[in-house]
Amino acid sequence: MKTYGTEPGAPTPVQVGISELAVSEGDDTLKSYGLGSCLAIALYDPDSDIGGLAHIMLPDGDAAENSDRKPGKYADTAIRALLRRMVEQGANYTTVEAKIAGGSDMFKFESFGDGVGQRNIAAAKAELEKLGVPLEAEDVGGEYGRTVEFTPGSGTLVVKTADESAENGVTEL
Amino acid sequence: MKLDVNALGTFYQMAREGAGLAAGRLTHMTGVETQVGVTKLNFMRGREIRRDFEDSTEKVGIRVNLTGAIEGYSMIVFDRENALRIVETLLAESESGAGADIDTFDEMTQSAATEVGHIMNSGFIDGWADVLEAAIDVSTPEFVEGQSAELFFGDIDEAPDEDDLALLFQSQIETVGTEVGFSHYLFPKRESMSRLLGHLRTSGGIEYDKLDGFDRMAERGAEEVAKTATTLTGIDTSVEIRRLNFVSLEAIPEQLADETLVGVAFEFDGMPSGYLLFLFDEESAHEIVDAMVPMEIDEDEDGFGEMGTSAIKELGNIMASGFLDGWANVLDTTIDHSTPEFIHDMGAAAVDPVIIQLGENQDFAFVFDTLVMADGREFDCEVYAIPDEDDLERALNNLDVDRIEDTPTTAEFQEVDTT
Repeated sequence: MKTYGTEPGAPTPVQVGISELAVSEGDDTLKSYGLGSCLAIALYDPDSDIGGLAHIMLPDGDAAENSDRKPGKYADTAIRALLRRMVEQGANYTTVEAKIAGGSDMFKFESFGDGVGQRNIAAAKAELEKLGVPLEAEDVGGEYGRTVEFTPGSGTLVVKTADESAENGVTEL
Repeated sequence: MKLDVNALGTFYQMAREGAGLAAGRLTHMTGVETQVGVTKLNFMRGREIRRDFEDSTEKVGIRVNLTGAIEGYSMIVFDRENALRIVETLLAESESGAGADIDTFDEMTQSAATEVGHIMNSGFIDGWADVLEAAIDVSTPEFVEGQSAELFFGDIDEAPDEDDLALLFQSQIETVGTEVGFSHYLFPKRESMSRLLGHLRTSGGIEYDKLDGFDRMAERGAEEVAKTATTLTGIDTSVEIRRLNFVSLEAIPEQLADETLVGVAFEFDGMPSGYLLFLFDEESAHEIVDAMVPMEIDEDEDGFGEMGTSAIKELGNIMASGFLDGWANVLDTTIDHSTPEFIHDMGAAAVDPVIIQLGENQDFAFVFDTLVMADGREFDCEVYAIPDEDDLERALNNLDVDRIEDTPTTAEFQEVDTT
């Protein structure tokens, strides 16, 4: 959801909706609500405190025609777009690290095949490996939804599930 | 007049661009932070638009006549109270009106409200002109104040008649921190819209009049759901809202409240195939379980226990059969559905697997959006039916319009942006 006009110093985290990606710095947090089979990919450079969050829905952008227009929709193109924007803002490519969360498989429908969540996780991992970005932590899979909040300054990715009091209610990556 | 998904996609993009520009200008004028919520295209009948309009609140409208790439009328409508708040904000910014507390429209405040409405109308129109890469000319704005739909569009020939099925563009613009929203209506001339559709269409498309089948499907499906819910729970229910939306896939989870929901999901197979979800808030789900399971149940960590979960699945299963039978009757076909999948989780997380699956082949979806409510508000149920786009187009093209009872509609296109 895009906001027009901003209050300086407002504490509200920037919302990263499905197929969107955003880059920020320091304590300016980025948040994605209600990830099911979608995957949140957080990249950050611990030296410059610059980081970004993508909320992807599909694995393979290179095979899709509209990935130029919507790089944030696909795992591979989102990771490359995030890296590029972070480097443009002063991050160092070689020190960037990654964390991912989401990619669950909520339903066992016939049409879903091997699981849409698993495909997203595999695609993200493959692209990170190809680009030499180390995957520091992950909270993926399962059969439940997640909401994530990412702070680029500390590289902390907080993952919450619907039942916050449950064993896996709140995880800090 | 024929339309296809590409043409609707362009309209959708127009609605988004327009809402963005209008929100930006409202922020610029008032200094109040604004955000654009969900944008969708709705198919609605004239009488439903009027019913939405006549909710007994006083309204203020600013309307302009359009010529050029789109011909017709564009109108911004505020609740009267909201219009006064905006005018207050504006005048408070200028020195003359500092500390103003306004409760009626005099010459000055009316002209301020007209100015705001006009700038926002222009925002929408500039957005459409950008997308269409064509010029749209705008007349001087007219100020309308009152309570009935008649006052606002009674004298507009382009407004849809009772039974006409209209295409409405709906977006939400919210102001952050203050409760000010507004609606936007576009009533284009039929010839003008027909020309645009012909120009934007990239495939064979479907005959516009066959969309009546859409509306009939939505109606039958919704009625069946309400009937089933009443029979199984013993609580009287009725269809509160029934809309056919055309939205980008990403907008579907966004429109769900950011809360934990209980739901039952199905995939269905036939012509069309697709996905069907019944969603309840937690309180409603407990009401249903209480109504369906007479004894005390052991609640597990999920809060519903095995008995509760199976009661909700059973209700979902029978509602799904009713809903899809309603569709199959209109389309003269059969539609099978899977066994139910139970969800007790964040609403958006329950929907995103479905949009991911559809997202492999399409960017937009028709969503049959229904709200069934129990009398006395014991519970409500949101129904989302999301058919595969190609299947739906084929199903509609196979539809024999003469089979549909009642008078076939002479469809008109117009546009509404609600906030």
